[in-house]
Order: sequence, then structure tokens, then C-alpha cells
Amino acid sequence: MLFFLQYSSIRLNEKVIKQYKVYNDESLIIEKVKERGNIIMGSFKKKDMKAGVLAIIVCAMFLTIAFSGCTQQEEEEKPEIKNPTTIVRYDIGDAKTLDPADCYDTASSEPIFSIYDTLVTYKGNDTLTFYPSLATDWSVSNDSLTWTFNLRHGVKFSNGNDFTAEDVKYSFDRVLTMGAPESGVDWILGQCMDTNSTTVIDDYTIQIKLTDPYGGFLALMPYTVAAIVDKDYVEANGGVVAGEENVWMKEHPMGTGPYMLDHWTRATEIVMVRNPTYWGGWEGNHPERVVIKYADEPATRILALKNGDADFAYVPYANLEDVIGEKGIVVHPFDSYDVALLAINTKANNNEYLANGEVRKALSYAFDYETAIENAWNGYATTLPGAIPKGMPYYETQNNGQPYYTYDLAQAEQILDDAGYAKDYDLDGTMYRFNGTTIRLFYNAGNAERETMAVMFRAALDDIGILSSIIAEGWPQLLHRMYTTDDWDMMFIGWGPDYNDPDDYIAPFMGSADIGQDTYNTGWKNETVDAKILEGKYSADATVRAAAYKTAYDIYIQEPSFIFLVQRAYIRPWRDWVQNYTYNPVREWYFYDYYKAYE
Amino acid sequence: MKTWEFIVRRLLLLIPVLIGVTIITFTVSHVIPADPARAFAGGPKAQPDVIERITKELHLDEPIWMQYFYYLNDLIHFNLGRSYLESRPVTDSLAQYFPATLELTIFAMLIAIPLGIVGGIISAIRRNKLSDHLTRIIAIVGYSLPIFWLALMLQYVFAYQFPILPLEGRLAIGMNAPQSITGLYVLDSILTGNLPTLGSAFYHLIMPAFTLGFATLALILRMTRSSMLEVMGMDYIRTGRAKGLSERTIIYKHALRNALIPTLTVTGLSFGGLLGGAVLTETIFNWPGMGRFAASAVLGFDFNSVMGFTIVVAIIYVLANLIVDVLYAVVDPRVRLGGG
Repeated sequence: MLFFLQYSSIRLNEKVIKQYKVYNDESLIIEKVKERGNIIMGSFKKKDMKAGVLAIIVCAMFLTIAFSGCTQQEEEEKPEIKNPTTIVRYDIGDAKTLDPADCYDTASSEPIFSIYDTLVTYKGNDTLTFYPSLATDWSVSNDSLTWTFNLRHGVKFSNGNDFTAEDVKYSFDRVLTMGAPESGVDWILGQCMDTNSTTVIDDYTIQIKLTDPYGGFLALMPYTVAAIVDKDYVEANGGVVAGEENVWMKEHPMGTGPYMLDHWTRATEIVMVRNPTYWGGWEGNHPERVVIKYADEPATRILALKNGDADFAYVPYANLEDVIGEKGIVVHPFDSYDVALLAINTKANNNEYLANGEVRKALSYAFDYETAIENAWNGYATTLPGAIPKGMPYYETQNNGQPYYTYDLAQAEQILDDAGYAKDYDLDGTMYRFNGTTIRLFYNAGNAERETMAVMFRAALDDIGILSSIIAEGWPQLLHRMYTTDDWDMMFIGWGPDYNDPDDYIAPFMGSADIGQDTYNTGWKNETVDAKILEGKYSADATVRAAAYKTAYDIYIQEPSFIFLVQRAYIRPWRDWVQNYTYNPVREWYFYDYYKAYE
Repeated sequence: MKTWEFIVRRLLLLIPVLIGVTIITFTVSHVIPADPARAFAGGPKAQPDVIERITKELHLDEPIWMQYFYYLNDLIHFNLGRSYLESRPVTDSLAQYFPATLELTIFAMLIAIPLGIVGGIISAIRRNKLSDHLTRIIAIVGYSLPIFWLALMLQYVFAYQFPILPLEGRLAIGMNAPQSITGLYVLDSILTGNLPTLGSAFYHLIMPAFTLGFATLALILRMTRSSMLEVMGMDYIRTGRAKGLSERTIIYKHALRNALIPTLTVTGLSFGGLLGGAVLTETIFNWPGMGRFAASAVLGFDFNSVMGFTIVVAIIYVLANLIVDVLYAVVDPRVRLGGG
């Protein structure tokens, strides 16, 4: 993180330094003029001297005023704020749905977070604390199974209906009954809830009895799938049909959140306006309108940011150079929860060697993490000790937050030699291991970062005597290869958060198919690790969870089925007139908090 | 053969053309071993029940010829399937994007056709004079400039350095679309009497329509010029001159009518081509039309959308050809339709 900050501040300062240099040079000129004047003065007569001094003072004053005027002007001449009461964000793609019960993509969750509320939430950049939202406080029973939430009084939906406990029960049961036919996102609540879980105690108290004592339960509540809808509104517009999407709710969201949908023009924009009944109130500075624009061309988004149409724009890593140092634009990287990994197929058809944990360990030493950060990610990434990203609870259980593997080809060679895989295969005079067997590295065509990392890794493998090849394929082809065949050896993949609990990161990578995991079909399995993952999952006790995750990590990392490459930085350059912006990796875009002004 | 017989016959020919198009696109998109159901259901995060539902919906668990049969059956019922990228029926997507492209194309053509034809005539009748050289330069520049470069430069100059035109989109940021009657914002704004939207829609058309029109203008200009030159050298023009007809009558009454036939072909086919969507112009100006839709469908492996798009483009092309052929007969009575 520190590195990011340093890097970006250096880049940001470049222009300032240039200006400072110019200013300094001019001061030098003034000094030189004065010096010269003094020297010349020595040879002048007193009368001439007076005139000379006067001339010099006038000149100096003129220059000083002129230059100070210049710098002041540069400092003060800030462009007029465009659309001062509207926040405009340029992004790619489009939302798929505005129904929280079937939303499983970030583009859709962004407006949903502004239109709907959840029982609890996160604030600012804090990912470790749960804050009240529609629930004012909550408690959990000693067996971690029963959660009781006291609900906020006086909250109204934007159609004027009152918010009560009935709406909460209806919202959760709706998700579980409807079964998210488009996205399958209902699994998140389904982990520990069914339609019998939620009970209305009174109008403002709700009780949830979990089917399993899930340690990450509270972390599910701020996610869009747990957003609260108005029972009467949904019932009047299609209601709930098991296994079928509600077409009305998809395009006509209505909640208790700060904003209401004004219009959604597909592939163009989503516009939201203030909800006048919002319980949080409208005192202070808040945007009147929020516009999320969708533009696929990076050059267009960058120009929109430069000309002030956009307050925020998505700029790919490779294009960041175009905005760094631009006047009025802030480029600041944050730690995202997005991780890049290299999956190793331990049951690969064409490569029996990958089944050996020592080989996988050696491969982990053969990846040049630091250079990859520079070359593939332009410096906007950081190393990653294991599956849990930095910022998420229990991150420290992974080797105290330090990478377990570093780039060390000598160590990699030593491990392979010790394991009996000597270089005994002669290919045109160069000796290779594994009897000349090739490791095929797959990545999805078009992904520039993965391509760069694959090329780097291939060179490193060659250095330690392992033959490899790089194959780029379309995403559906790769999925077919990964899930229907074992015709792949290693594959570059990525993972982003569903909700803010390490179970969402540890289990898919370190858990085996026996416990319904091994999400990338690597064939990895360790019974103790499985047991520890489940122990951590089904406990609400932080100490128990930490101990379980630490043990699981310590075993897993000795013969990993993934190389943990990097944790990506999150960068959405913004105009310096936007105030109060901060990034939270699990709950992005609190538009309500932002406003536009120069401060 | 009567005109309507010719039209019916050509329209009937659409059926084998469409079958051919669907066979090719279906084979290309289905022949590679892939897991579209899992891709649409969310990749590695896909839930088994969603994968199963999509597999059933697309009949992926059946042999490919059966899948094609189901597809054709749906097609006959005007069901192009579901766009998984946009999570709605492909017909809904096409109904939104086609009018956008149509509007852009019409305005591009409104720029290209009159300027192209007039430029071509001037260039031809003032051969080797300054105006000829100038128009030829315009034509060459228009022809050889990469369209994306022109688009980016226009944006840079007119939306950033001298911000007098909007950067992108069909309407101002945050402006609601006019009530949809035709899907053409300009027309809908007029029909609903919505002046601010009308202004915004016009304003947003300038740069993309110019970009798209510029290349076509060059084409029409060159074509008009060369056919005008050819016609002006014909015997009947000389006869006309000998008869003492005014130069104006010769050019506009006798020469132009004959010279326009090749121009008509080029214009008609360009129009048809542009209606399929101009990927680069639409992407850069963020114009939510067919080109942008097709590009994102291809990149997102949204096969139903790709096939739906291809069918629409095939129909447009056949119709554009048909209209051009019919117009031949209108312009030149000697042309007999159907060759019979």
C-alpha cells in the first residue's frame, strides 16, 4: 500500500515539481539580475547608481509580481465545476438487473446499494466494523445460532410505505423461494438460512435462526442479496414465483435507500434522484442526482474525465499514464479484494508431475512476483501471502501477512533436484526435467495482464529446466477445459469478493470437492484442511476461527494447488472537485456521502 | 416481369439466404468445445442449478443438429433466444439498438449523399481545375483516414480543446429518452413535441454522423465524378450540345441521370452496410447501436446475440440490394427487372 501511495504521489507530483522548477528558475533569474545589478552598480556613479537601483527594484518588483501572479493564477485558476449537484461516473458494461434478489455482478450492485438498504452496512473504508443501517442494534445467542435484530423506527420506502419487520422476513424468504434463477446468488443466504429461519417478533424486531452457526453470517447482511424490499410493492407487482425471475422488480427497483431510480437506458446510463423520504435525511452536502454512464471505449472515458463530464472514470491499468499528472484529476490506488492466481491441475492428464506437492512448491518459487507487479500491473498490485486478501479479517493468519514464497530459482531447482526430477532430457543440447514433459499455461485470450505473466513465467520455467507453452483461449472454451476435462495443466485466474468473510476466499481455493469446494477443479484435497475450513466456517468465535484458518494455511501452503500471484489495486481516477470519496472493497460507491466543491 | 413479381421473388430468396446464414453462424459458434452454460451462469462462481437451467434452455445436452432444429423452430416464431450478457430477450436488445443505428446512418447519409453528389458533379465538370483538386483531396482524405482516428481527433478537438460539441452518447448526460414510438430520438422528440430532447439529440448526432458520413461521402464523390466524366464524353451529350442545349440542361437532365446509376449502387450498399452498425464509430462515440452491441456480444461470447445480429444484418443487406435494384428501374427505364 505504502508502495502504491509513494508511486502515485511521485507521479502526481511530477507536474507540480516541473512547475516548481520553473518558478525556482525564475527566482534564480531574479537573483541573478540582482547580482548582476550589484556588480554593475559598483562601476556606476552614485547618481547612476540610484537610477540603476531603482531600475533593478522596479524590474525585480515587476518580475516578482509577474511570476507570483503566474503561480497564484495557476493555483487559483481551477476549472468551473461541471454539473455541481450531480455525480457522474463512467464505467464499462451495464447492469444486468436491479432486483437485489437476483444480482450477482458489480455493475448491478452499484445502483442497488444506493436504492436499497440492508440491515447492517459498512462505512467509509472500514471493512472490519459492522454499522447499523435498517437495524439499529443486534445480538447473537451463545450457540451462535439465533440472531436478533432491532429495527429502525420511522423508516419509509420511497413510495411512502412504512418499513417493518414483515418486509425483512419477506425479503429474505423471497430470495430463498425465488432461487435467483438468473444468477444463482441465493446460495449466499442459503448457506445458513431457509424460509423457516426468519421470524417476526414484533413490528420492529426480527429473529433469524440459522440452520448452521455460520461465522460469516453478519458479513452476509450488508450484501445486495440481503437488501430489504417492500412486501406490498412486490406483491402488487408479480410477487414471488419459485424459480422465476420477477421482471418488474428487475427494472423497477424501490427501496428505503437514499436514491430512487429515475431511468435506466440500457447500455447507456442509470440515473438516480434523491429519495425525499430517506431516513438519513438530506441535511449537509449530498448529490441531487447520480448518473452511472456506460462507455466501452477507454479513450472516451478518459476524455470525459479530462473535460469534466465525468467525476469518476474507469481507466484500465495500461491507460493510467494518460491521466496521471493531469490537472484536476486524482489518481489514487486502493487495495481491492481482487486477487490473481495461477491454478495448478493436480490431476492433469498430460502432466503427472503436477500431482507432486514438491513440484508445486518449486513452481511457487519460480514466479517473479515483484517483476510481475511492475510489468503486468504497472506497479498497481501487491504481493499476496494466500487466498485471503489484505484488508479482510484473518488476513494475518497467513504467515503473518508476509508472502510465503518469493522468487528464488535456486531454491526451486534445489527442491526439484531433491525430489528426484533431475535435468535428464536433452532437447537440442539443452537439458530439461520431467522427461521433456511440457507444462501448458492457459489464460483467457485478450487478458493483457495474464499474457504478460504467462510470458514471464515461461521464461523462468525455462531457466529451471521445465518446458512450457502458453495457450490463449476464449472464456467458454477455458471453462469447458477446466470443468469437463483434465486437459489443462495450469491456468491464470482471478477472484473477487462476494461478501467480507475469509470463508469466501479460503474455502473455494483450499477446500476440496468433498466439502463442495475446489471451485477451480484442481483436484486438491487434504482432510485436515477441509476439517479446519469447516471449523472456521461454523464458529462465530474469532479465536477459534483464527486458529482454524492458520492451521489450514500452514498445511496447505506446503503443497499448494495455487500460486498466489498478486492482489490488485483498485483505481478509479476522479476529479479533484469530488469531496468525501473513499473506497471500500466490499461495498463500493456511497454516492450519498459525496459532494462536489473545491476545498 | 412486373416489379412486384420481382420483389416477391427476391423476398422469397431471403429464406435460403437466412438458412445459409444461420447454418454458418450456428456451426461456427457451436463447433468449438466450450461451456457456454457455465460462462453465462457466472464462470467459476456459477451455481449448479443455474448451469442446468441454461443447459436445458439452450438444449446443450442434445446433439448439435437437434440444437439447430430447436433454434430454427424458435426463429420461425420470431424468438431469437435470450441474451445472457444483457439478461433479456435478444429481440428486446435489437429493438433498442437498431433504431439507434438507423438514426445515425440516416444522418450520416444526409451528410454524405448531397455533398458527395454535388462534389462529384463539380469535380467532373471542372476537371483539373482548383475545385476538382480540392474535392479530390477531400475524397482521398476521407477514403484513407482511419475512421477511429478521425473520431478520436474530432472528440479531442471539439469536446476537449474547444468544447463546443458533446463527447459521446445520444442525449445529454442524465437526460431521459423521449417516449419510444420509433426508437429514433429525433423523430420521437418531434412526435412528442419534446424540444429539449430534440435539441440534445441533434446536437449529439453531429460528430458521429459526420465521422460516419465522411468516408461514405468520399466514396460517393469519387463514384459520381468518374461516372459523370464517362457520361460527359458520350455521343448523346455531344449531340445535346450540338443541338444548342444549355450546359445546365445537359448536366442535370441528361448526364446526371445516367451517371447516378453506379452512385446509386454504392450508396445503397453503403447504407445497408452502415445499418449493420459501425463498430468503431459507435464504440468511440458510445452510440448504443448495432455495432457496439455486436462487438460486446462477440467479446462476451453471447452466441444468441451474435446470431440474432447476423440474421438482422443479412436481412438488411438483401433488402438494401433489392431496393437498389428497384431504384435502377426508376432511374433508368431501360433497366428490366429480373433480366426477363
